[in-house]
Amino acid sequence: MRLLKQIATGIAVLTSCLAVAQDRPSASSPTLAITGGRLLTVSHGTIENGVLVIADGKIAGVGPAGSVKVPKGAQVIDAKGMTVYPGLIDPETNFGLTEISADAETNDLEERSDEIMPHMHVADAFHAETELIPVARLNGITNALVAPASGDTIAGQDLFIQLYGNRQQMMLGNDVALAMNYGAEQRRRGGRGEGGRSKYPSTRMGLITELRQTFLDTQAYEAKKVAAAKKPDAEFKRDLKYEALLPYLKGDRPVVIGVYEAYDVETIMKLADEFHLKVILNHVTHSQEVLDEIATYKVPVIIGSIYDAPRANERYDAVFALPAELAKRGVKIAISSADGGGPVSSHSSRNLPYAAGMAVAYGLPYEDALKAITLNVAEMFGFGDKLGSLDVGKMANVVIANGDPLDVRTDVKKVFIQGVEVPHTSRQTKLRDEYK
Amino acid sequence: MGSRNFPSHLFVRLSLVFSLLVGGCRAAAFGQQSAPVDIVFRGATVMTASHGTIEHGAVWVHSGKIAGVGATVSAPQTATIVDATGMWLTPGIIDPHSHSALDSDVNEATSPVTPSMHMIDAFDNRSADLYRALAGGVTTELLLHGSANMIGGQAVVIKNKFGLDRDAMLFKNAPGSIKFASGENPKRVYGSRDQLPSTRMGNFEVMRMSFEDARHYMAEWDAYDAKVKKGDKDLVPPKRDLKLEALADVLRGKLFVQIHCYRADEFLTEEAIAKEYGYKIRAFHHALEMYKVAPEIAADGTAIATFADWWGYKDEARDAIPWNAVMSMRKGVRVALKSDSDDHIRRLNSEAGKMVHYGGATEDEAIKMVTLNPAWIIGVDDRVGSIDVGKDADLVLWNHDPLSNYARVMKVYIDGELFFDSSATGWGTTHFAGVMHDGGDFGSEDEENGQ
Repeated sequence: MRLLKQIATGIAVLTSCLAVAQDRPSASSPTLAITGGRLLTVSHGTIENGVLVIADGKIAGVGPAGSVKVPKGAQVIDAKGMTVYPGLIDPETNFGLTEISADAETNDLEERSDEIMPHMHVADAFHAETELIPVARLNGITNALVAPASGDTIAGQDLFIQLYGNRQQMMLGNDVALAMNYGAEQRRRGGRGEGGRSKYPSTRMGLITELRQTFLDTQAYEAKKVAAAKKPDAEFKRDLKYEALLPYLKGDRPVVIGVYEAYDVETIMKLADEFHLKVILNHVTHSQEVLDEIATYKVPVIIGSIYDAPRANERYDAVFALPAELAKRGVKIAISSADGGGPVSSHSSRNLPYAAGMAVAYGLPYEDALKAITLNVAEMFGFGDKLGSLDVGKMANVVIANGDPLDVRTDVKKVFIQGVEVPHTSRQTKLRDEYK
Repeated sequence: MGSRNFPSHLFVRLSLVFSLLVGGCRAAAFGQQSAPVDIVFRGATVMTASHGTIEHGAVWVHSGKIAGVGATVSAPQTATIVDATGMWLTPGIIDPHSHSALDSDVNEATSPVTPSMHMIDAFDNRSADLYRALAGGVTTELLLHGSANMIGGQAVVIKNKFGLDRDAMLFKNAPGSIKFASGENPKRVYGSRDQLPSTRMGNFEVMRMSFEDARHYMAEWDAYDAKVKKGDKDLVPPKRDLKLEALADVLRGKLFVQIHCYRADEFLTEEAIAKEYGYKIRAFHHALEMYKVAPEIAADGTAIATFADWWGYKDEARDAIPWNAVMSMRKGVRVALKSDSDDHIRRLNSEAGKMVHYGGATEDEAIKMVTLNPAWIIGVDDRVGSIDVGKDADLVLWNHDPLSNYARVMKVYIDGELFFDSSATGWGTTHFAGVMHDGGDFGSEDEENGQ
């Protein structure tokens, strides 16, 4: 019996390998028309009984039935009774950097040798075949930011992906943002795998001073580089760490700063202002005292995990209500997946829409919640013209579900990425079907 | 695992400083008002968990017990009326696997066999864990020892009457449970110290060796008792040994055995050892691979307490699939969902809602997984877990279908008394005053690797 099971497993693995080989989007996607569904456009409201046309991997038409022409020869997908919406975008994951959380050999989450590591590129380590991606995709996640873990003040540069295709197709944007973190966790106090020995910087004073020195050194490096470009200088040597920081010190690309406490937010924003960084704040879990101040920064904020613990003595919904409180103050928000108290666990990325639903339960307007896991995320990372809403010309990343996407009871039926219908399978569905 | 979120437990002191943040939390000391003798909930969608859902139903509570449920009830005129029109009423949520309110005293990881540990000794009734669970509708919890040991300690069952004294929070006359564990956690904890067990072979032999000790101990006492009965005088009784007495209680069937266990092969081995030594296994906890061997385990009458959709955090959680709960249920296993987490315990209702999505559970089946079925695992299903006449009036009012993540808890009643009211200012607690304590780690005990 066991042997039979093993053989069955072997066959399942084999067929899944074959499936992977065939899973890739072909060069040209078919022309499709999704008709009769309820379209949540994100950018321009809800369309009942809508028509969505997909051609060449892009959205070619969107509107109420009758107003959009279904091209001749288009494959028609009947979505009557269904909800149709843009693919969801998770603003913080570790996709392709982790497989089994507890198994060190399967993790490439952060380079712990030093705390200033801007020259680490997630794109270099991205394991496109990870089993985590098909699992998330089944619940309508089509794009994600992949970031290193949060142990370093400057952990590396983030990768923006789509959750389907071959590795190159999946990597939509390398080095789209710099991953920074500030607070207690980054202190080199030992006990974090450093053999219990403290080393500099072991305090917040040290963290900030080191960052400031690094940014000053980068500016000095740039001056040298500019001079060397005008007049060849044998002394000048390229430094990858400073090179990596240059676009961020110029404000060309965003810096995602993971920070939890109110006073840490104030400190790090002063430093960011000093060097004109283009900031996206991340977490702000325990910053309820300074929400008005955060609104004055005019920077977008990623909230995650919405399930993080409030402090003892705080009201139970202090964190659940954070998205609503920020949105109310005019802050552009995104919501990430991740379980409370846990690591940024991309195993839970499939629960991204439910985190947004939780924010709705605690006061966030529905439209804002949907934006927080689609268009807002796309805009934060430079894909606002390509992703995040049902608009003509955008990549056809489209999900069809049997109900409200933010409700846990809803079942996703079909997922399209760049117009190609993604196989509705994962290692988990294969196990399910094997033991049915 | 270098990606832990902010270690909030380090900030207990800070948290006190900022404690008045949201909503002026420090309410005045509450008087210990007694609950009204008769309460009638009217107009709610009543999800009974035992006999379906009643639209626009009524529930009558008399002296802390459910006295009537149906389209109408015949309560006295003097009853306090709670207009629940547009709301949902369910039994209190029951968590059969929690480590709440135990600070970090979850594992006595100094020996793989510690059956004489009692979780009640570590129970902190002022922990904010309890408050947040209450605000998520949780009225009963089984507080378990961790999974570092093959045979861990004895659980305590609480009613979440947050704000009352420690003793008043205990679930009176609930049966005793003991925690067992096998697999990666005990392997790693003792293997990393070059101690037994460092393998699954070692895991199970440690259990057998312990039960041999217990049998010998029982035989010694039986022999002594027989001599006393015969009238022998001046006998020296055998030395009492708390560890062996606890193990003897397992063999005598006096304790429900709750086993932390992931893999299909381990369920089968555990059942075989249980038969070898003559005890029953009440439930496998986690049980993420139950879908592979569900008919075999169903035949043994063992239930499972599982996660809705956690997976991949360790190798033995690799084959976890979110359809596990419903597939196992369809194959005859009694299935409960549990938290094992001070986060998830706050939203077990919507974890149950996921079962509608993963496998097509009916709403009745889903709500049962967080009420009646966990009550059975704890052994208190004759008293709580459904809205039936004679049961304790542990009830939750929701503003939305509780199987949806849009649902918020409005009010929580335990034994007919109001313990949480979200519309109240501050915390919304009705009995708690003073300072809450921060709990241990907010994440999963097991995800923390059983340390």
